[in-house]
Amino acid sequence: MRLTFGDEVEAFRREFQAWLAENRPSAEEMAAEPAVASAHLPGWARAWARRMFDAGWLVPGWPPELGGRHAGPVEVLAYLEELTRAGVPRTTNPQGLGIVAPSILDYGSEEQIHDYAMPVLRGERSACLGMSEPGAGSDLASLSTRAVVDGDSFVINGQKVWTSGAAYADFCFLFCRTDPQAPKHKGISVVLVDMATPGITVRPLAQIARPEHPDLTEVFLSDVVVPRSNLVGRMNDGWAMANGSLAHERGMVWLSGVMMLEQEVAGLRQTAPAALARLAPADRVVVADGLVQSCIDAAAARCLGYRGFAKLVRGGSAPEQALMKAFTSEAGQRLALRSAELGADRTVDIGPTPDSPVTGIERYFGSFGGTISAGSSEIQRNIIAEKVLGLPR
Amino acid sequence: MDLELSEDEAALRDNVRSVLASICPPAAVRAVYEGKGDPAAVWARMVELDWPGLAVPEQHGGLGMGYVAVALVAEELGRAVVPGPLLATATQFVPLVRELGAESALAGDLLARVAAGELTGTVALAEGGRWEPDAVAANARETADGWALAGTKVAVLDGAGADEVLVVARAPGTAGAEGLGVFAVPRADLAATARTVVDPTLPLADVALDGLVVPAGRVLAAPGAAGVAEALDRAGQEATVALALGTVGACRVVFERTLEYAKVREQYGKPIGSFQALKHRLADMYLAVERATSLGYYAALTIAEDDPQRAVAASMAKAAAGECQRLVAHDGLQLHGGIGVTWENDLHFPVKRAISGDALYGNAVHHRARLARMLGFLPSEKHDGDDPEVVA
Repeated sequence: MRLTFGDEVEAFRREFQAWLAENRPSAEEMAAEPAVASAHLPGWARAWARRMFDAGWLVPGWPPELGGRHAGPVEVLAYLEELTRAGVPRTTNPQGLGIVAPSILDYGSEEQIHDYAMPVLRGERSACLGMSEPGAGSDLASLSTRAVVDGDSFVINGQKVWTSGAAYADFCFLFCRTDPQAPKHKGISVVLVDMATPGITVRPLAQIARPEHPDLTEVFLSDVVVPRSNLVGRMNDGWAMANGSLAHERGMVWLSGVMMLEQEVAGLRQTAPAALARLAPADRVVVADGLVQSCIDAAAARCLGYRGFAKLVRGGSAPEQALMKAFTSEAGQRLALRSAELGADRTVDIGPTPDSPVTGIERYFGSFGGTISAGSSEIQRNIIAEKVLGLPR
Repeated sequence: MDLELSEDEAALRDNVRSVLASICPPAAVRAVYEGKGDPAAVWARMVELDWPGLAVPEQHGGLGMGYVAVALVAEELGRAVVPGPLLATATQFVPLVRELGAESALAGDLLARVAAGELTGTVALAEGGRWEPDAVAANARETADGWALAGTKVAVLDGAGADEVLVVARAPGTAGAEGLGVFAVPRADLAATARTVVDPTLPLADVALDGLVVPAGRVLAAPGAAGVAEALDRAGQEATVALALGTVGACRVVFERTLEYAKVREQYGKPIGSFQALKHRLADMYLAVERATSLGYYAALTIAEDDPQRAVAASMAKAAAGECQRLVAHDGLQLHGGIGVTWENDLHFPVKRAISGDALYGNAVHHRARLARMLGFLPSEKHDGDDPEVVA
């Protein structure tokens, strides 16, 4: 065990810091045209993706032709730390960069890679991920959106829900049922669907936090015709990709959970003393204890994540990584509520107010995105119990 | 930050675990609990293996191992619920002697005798349930015959059994970090009252100091000498993190036994571990154990590398270990059903070890309160001998 990584990693970190300082989008241009949904690519985001791709900083672990530089896992970790520290988003289309493009690279045809994956990497096109349905949430394999082969085409009918960024995405990585007779995991395929295809209706689903900027949508598909060549991988083999997608997603996702928590704790440590000073002395002691527990959560999340990461880097297994999603999202939720409560009566305010330095209740509502999406905390506990602890189903 | 054990560290941990399984099997723990066993036998084997000198610098005949190694041993001691003087000697007594200047003849002699397996030791720090050196009220007055001590120390680990007790006291009229001193007192000279503790593998005693006169040759650090507060802080962190990891080690055993029990105990025709209510609780126990282990390793590293974060990290580790104990000891007992609360089941040994380990050197609440001050959420306290009040 040691507190720092080796000199080579630190040299890599400094190289990226220097490049980042020269090439990052400015705070002003990001503020002038904010990304309002997960597949929204403002002009600065397109240019930023292209600069990172060309310089080999988009996915450092990949080869240069895919926007990388053959970096090792510890270097990638340092890279992600520096991006977060600088307050620069790696992408405004996380599903596209993190899940859709890698899945097409793994399973897609040359043509699909050329037309869909590479444009996503270069910031030219954005992608959404069509997974959940009204009747298929945690039990995704029960999805019923149908794709029927008709000559050289698929005809697709059905409905997706909780689809992030569909109102802005250029195309959808759509999971649909292609064999209704087969057992539920064995009749699913993935089809690439251009969002401009006739028959697609996107209805934004405003949430209780930030209703003015809906990210989640419902997607209705009515006799949507797409070329049969848009099938990704083999027919009825889509479930492997659902698992593969989540593996891509989980590779380093723990780190963003950790860093988000640490940033919020850092913010809290700035604002808390002034807010605490307004409380009655006895209230202050109780509230401060909650803040301390959030600080411990953040430190623990970092230590737990880095410990698992170190095991993986050494080629071992790291079962404790399965704990990270539920732990970081729930810790973030506790922190959001404590942060709002710091303002005592300020929990009635939607967001920060000029005379209150703390966040309002809005961030707490927003935190449910973390504990519900991509496998709810309850599903995470089932996974930990069954897959890690070996408890019977 | 690399928080995984290196090959050497893992080999040390495995070696210690297998030795402890042989010299301190569950039957030996039960014998101590039932007043039939003698921890001296375990200690004698440790002496043969040179374990007492684990943390003693090589120049004094010890193994001179770094703090990560010490912490890993402490975790294993908790895991196997090991009785005997190693914990107090290696994680409390030795660090404080070493920090106070191993150059002095007294310190060098104490360390050499520990390394030779001839001496066990402990530290008498806490008073009235408070563990921070600032809160020490026991005082030491210089007289013609030596230093006259007054006051009462509580919850001294091995306080009725260790050969030497390091007593922390301050010059009259001083407060806070000023005026602190440390005296090496043979236990035979002290009036120690053994407490009736729940875990006889962590025996505690209260020590009355009134009437004790310590000769000049037994002063490890005279009251007011430079660096005493810093030495107490550093040694206290070593003791705290060792207890944190020992507590986590005991919790891990409770968790592992409970998990195993949930897989084999059947009701309604299936293992109780197939019920979701229990699955989720076991997942939460697992998180609590891994969370506290990770913070414990991190704290051990900050001590080993003398990182400025070590005070915060040590308190976080101890708080997390205490929180882990509250969940895991409770759910371990609850999920075992009736069998877990029977004396004949071994589960209560690690449960009691974890509860006791949480209490020593400040429980979770104490360390969270310390953190509230260190992190700037609450102002520092005044120490005037009365109940502390938050300074507005």
